Amino acid sequence: MFRVPLLVALALSITFGVGILSAVSALKATVGFGSISLGPWVAFPNAQTADTDPYAKAHRARTGKLLYGGAEGLQFTAAKDDSGATLTTACSYDISGTTPPARFWTLYSANTGDVPLRATSDLPGALNAWTVLRKPDTSFVIHVSPSARPDNWLAVPRAGAFKLVLTLLDTPAAGSSGVIDLAMPKIVKTECGNG
Amino acid sequence: MVKVLFSVVAGLVGAALLHIVIILALPQFTGKDAYSRVLGLFEMDSFYALTNEPGQTGLSNEDPFLRVAVCAFSVNNGPARFVARGRVPFWSLVVYDENSNEVFSMNDQTAVNGNLDLIMATPIQLVELRKTPSEALAQSIMVEMSGEDGYAVLRALAPTTSYEEIARNFLSESSCEPLSR
Repeated sequence: MFRVPLLVALALSITFGVGILSAVSALKATVGFGSISLGPWVAFPNAQTADTDPYAKAHRARTGKLLYGGAEGLQFTAAKDDSGATLTTACSYDISGTTPPARFWTLYSANTGDVPLRATSDLPGALNAWTVLRKPDTSFVIHVSPSARPDNWLAVPRAGAFKLVLTLLDTPAAGSSGVIDLAMPKIVKTECGNG
Repeated sequence: MVKVLFSVVAGLVGAALLHIVIILALPQFTGKDAYSRVLGLFEMDSFYALTNEPGQTGLSNEDPFLRVAVCAFSVNNGPARFVARGRVPFWSLVVYDENSNEVFSMNDQTAVNGNLDLIMATPIQLVELRKTPSEALAQSIMVEMSGEDGYAVLRALAPTTSYEEIARNFLSESSCEPLSR
């Protein structure tokens, strides 16, 4: 005699359980559609506009970040290295190459929830286009490591998985669909452990 | 058995509908979106410089080299004017409506003489402004806003610590206020 209420309860629990969990996980997994990815670097050039997709609108309403406008810049994040392995502070990485044309760029690390990781104030936890040391051909090599490195060192605290955030300011990449041809710096794992 | 299968399928169909409803309705009720956070600072009509650590509403200077100020405004009672002058290596401004859709964005190289002088107005207010052109607004960029409420984000670049003070002064001397004429 409890068969019908049981079946209704089953249907309702599947509805609410699967419906809510899938919505939350979809919003956690990605910023939305319309991403451009250049190697491990991902950017969402239209996430702040009115004609972006509903997932992007829900995501930005949930995170409440002050996004970059089209004339301001474009923010790339990388959670993986060039081989596809997740970035972790147990390892050291080299970021080498050049950025797409931009008036300025900044590079810092963030945790997986996009909150910036602050190295202690006397360590170089962030680099920018002016402070980075370059080779004669303007390319650069940045060593990302929790322990000190010579030349360009981007210090990261020992915090497990992390992301790299590269912000290009006033870049033609933000407004163009030809962004796919742009070259982004490579992220290569150099060593793991306490070395 | 067929009934159980039927209720599972019905549950999954309901889950798909609920998923769509949640995604579409979420922007209206999160209360954590950028506009609510800016309003939560209780600063209307002036630029509020954010701190490096997340403040009471969770907004902060996320980029270590960019100093950010926000300003909630309304063009309900008249146009809003944004003015900033100074020599920072880079500044940029973006204006969002209340749903955080970008209305207008610019940087120092798209500005007149590198100074920020922007007027946001409704279409009717813009017609009024253009009917009676005034000398003081000759250099202003005028932008139409379809809604009434919104917020502006002004960023100033400090590439090294020596620029810190210049960037902070640039933000503290900037203004975001109703246009008086």
